[in-house]
Amino acid sequence: MIELKSATKTVICIGSGGVGKTTFASTLAIGQACQGRRVLVLTIDPSLRLAQALGIPKDGDVHDITDPFIREKGGQLFGCILDHQKVFQEFILSAAGHRLADQDIKKLTENRLYHQLSTHLAGSQEFTSLYKLNQFVKSNQYDLVVLDTPPAQHTWQFLRAPEKLSQLFNEGIAQWFRSGHQQDVGFFKKIVNVGTVQVLKALEVLTGAEFIKELSLFFKAIQNWQQPLQQQVNDCHKILTSQQTEFVLVSALDSSRILESQKISNEIVQEGYNLTTLVINRCYQWGDQDLRTSNPKVGEILQYYRKIEQNLTALSSEKRFQRLSVYKAPEVSQNDWHVKKLYEVYSQISVLR
Amino acid sequence: MATQKIHFFTGKGGVGKSTLAASFAYEIARNSAASNILLTELSERPFYQDFLQVPTQGYTPVRIEKLSKNLALSLWSPQECLREYALHLLKIESLYKLFFENPVSRSLIQVAPGLQELAILGKVTSSARQHGPAMNFDQIVIDAYSTGHFLSLLRAPKAMSEVIQFGPMGEQSKSIDRWIRNPDFCQIHLVCLPELFPVTETIELYQQLVQEFGLVPKVYLNKYLDLNISDLQDLSESTQNYFKNTIQIQNESVDLLKQSHVRFQKMKLQPTLDSLQLVDEISSQLESGVV
Repeated sequence: MIELKSATKTVICIGSGGVGKTTFASTLAIGQACQGRRVLVLTIDPSLRLAQALGIPKDGDVHDITDPFIREKGGQLFGCILDHQKVFQEFILSAAGHRLADQDIKKLTENRLYHQLSTHLAGSQEFTSLYKLNQFVKSNQYDLVVLDTPPAQHTWQFLRAPEKLSQLFNEGIAQWFRSGHQQDVGFFKKIVNVGTVQVLKALEVLTGAEFIKELSLFFKAIQNWQQPLQQQVNDCHKILTSQQTEFVLVSALDSSRILESQKISNEIVQEGYNLTTLVINRCYQWGDQDLRTSNPKVGEILQYYRKIEQNLTALSSEKRFQRLSVYKAPEVSQNDWHVKKLYEVYSQISVLR
Repeated sequence: MATQKIHFFTGKGGVGKSTLAASFAYEIARNSAASNILLTELSERPFYQDFLQVPTQGYTPVRIEKLSKNLALSLWSPQECLREYALHLLKIESLYKLFFENPVSRSLIQVAPGLQELAILGKVTSSARQHGPAMNFDQIVIDAYSTGHFLSLLRAPKAMSEVIQFGPMGEQSKSIDRWIRNPDFCQIHLVCLPELFPVTETIELYQQLVQEFGLVPKVYLNKYLDLNISDLQDLSESTQNYFKNTIQIQNESVDLLKQSHVRFQKMKLQPTLDSLQLVDEISSQLESGVV
């Protein structure tokens, strides 16, 4: 079992890919719901099996997935699989919709840069996750919201996502590209600043005039975004740094995770976020009998796993991570994914430190 | 340079692609006396610096003498790649400074879709295309992005050339795209774990790369537990079950790959926490090349 502070309203599960973060987020949500709370789990691209086990359709909406087992324990569980493109669209419409005419919206959604932006841009997935999180936390409909974060190469990419996106729309850049294009009098003529002209020329040498044209159309279409976006960035920052938000770092029994967990923990703590928990996921419970095995090959592997566990646990003895609790969670066989089983797994999570 | 070759390593997070990329670079460096090998990482923050315990890792390649005199290490962030390319193209230092030291253009580059990917691939293929600053490496081993991002990396030149058909960027995009589709020049290495979900994803990616790019990737089944049921006899029941389950999943993964006619190499789990020893042992396994 994982002990959260009673005031905690948001849990953000972070960690790099392959550690079973999504499964863990769901396990935690089920566990908390079984303690009688009203819990929402926001997941990102769960495997089909896990989605089926939880009973969440992949339509981007919130679904009541309270099954009889959870209801018996007095809790409620809601689930949502984020559909990033849908959320991004939702944000655009809410931010600029009442100011944009229908034809402008159409023009925007047909713009190839917009298209790439909403599908490919690293950062927009992160942004949409936080956008939704903000919405659900603000709604006050849930006792607890558990967020599973998108797989990122580095956690800081996730945490900086809102700022990164807001840079794109900040007054400065947008201003440049919006100015010239309304008239045929030459693209750069209206811009008085000499530096700006040169920068744009440099960009044109690099990319060609066509690219600049697309870019200019794009910025023109989104000229009213800065304010709502800035609001989002502020709100997200508020949630991320709130004392009612706990960060849970999910790690695994793998040598590469030791260094990585150390780095991630450092980043989170430095940014001023409230890292409370480290979970070593997909472990197994060994006993003394196992370590006395006469088979050297098995013995070597067991010792190796044990050393990794010790090294990960040692993180919490470092001064800056003093309030960090370390847990280990058992491996769940993939054939066995259903709510009751995940609750069993949750009950088996044991504290190491 | 007659036959330069580039190797991309990709796979889901945590499968060990960086370790395998380093081991692969090390293996070819120590086995071909005259060659000049570069190991590079596509990232803004270095991983290898700590992992290989070297004093610095940056954009300019640095020799890693303690591994092999033929091996150099670098770190390629998209920003640096673009900056170098821009300087090469713009020639005028002050103009380039004006452009790159401008916060607006900096953030623009960060968010302009496809531009970063293009800069990276432009750099990777610059010697082959004889465009941009020369790099004298016979082989470049790239610890690339993980699976999803990797596909968008490879797709960027074509996508960009469709959006921007004319001008220098359109031309460059087309030429980069041609080179990465050349199987004599570009080799992709897919690293995956012997688990069902990752293996299924790897097979899909494998087939996609064959179909879309005409490239046949090499596949590695990493961290393979070299154990039999008979090795488990004196373990407690729960631990036995844990390993039995693992072994069964491994076998199913192998069957899946075989059914899909994907050739692969098993890479045994090396139970060591010493990264240099790990690289050494994996490179020996790569050398023996049992497929």
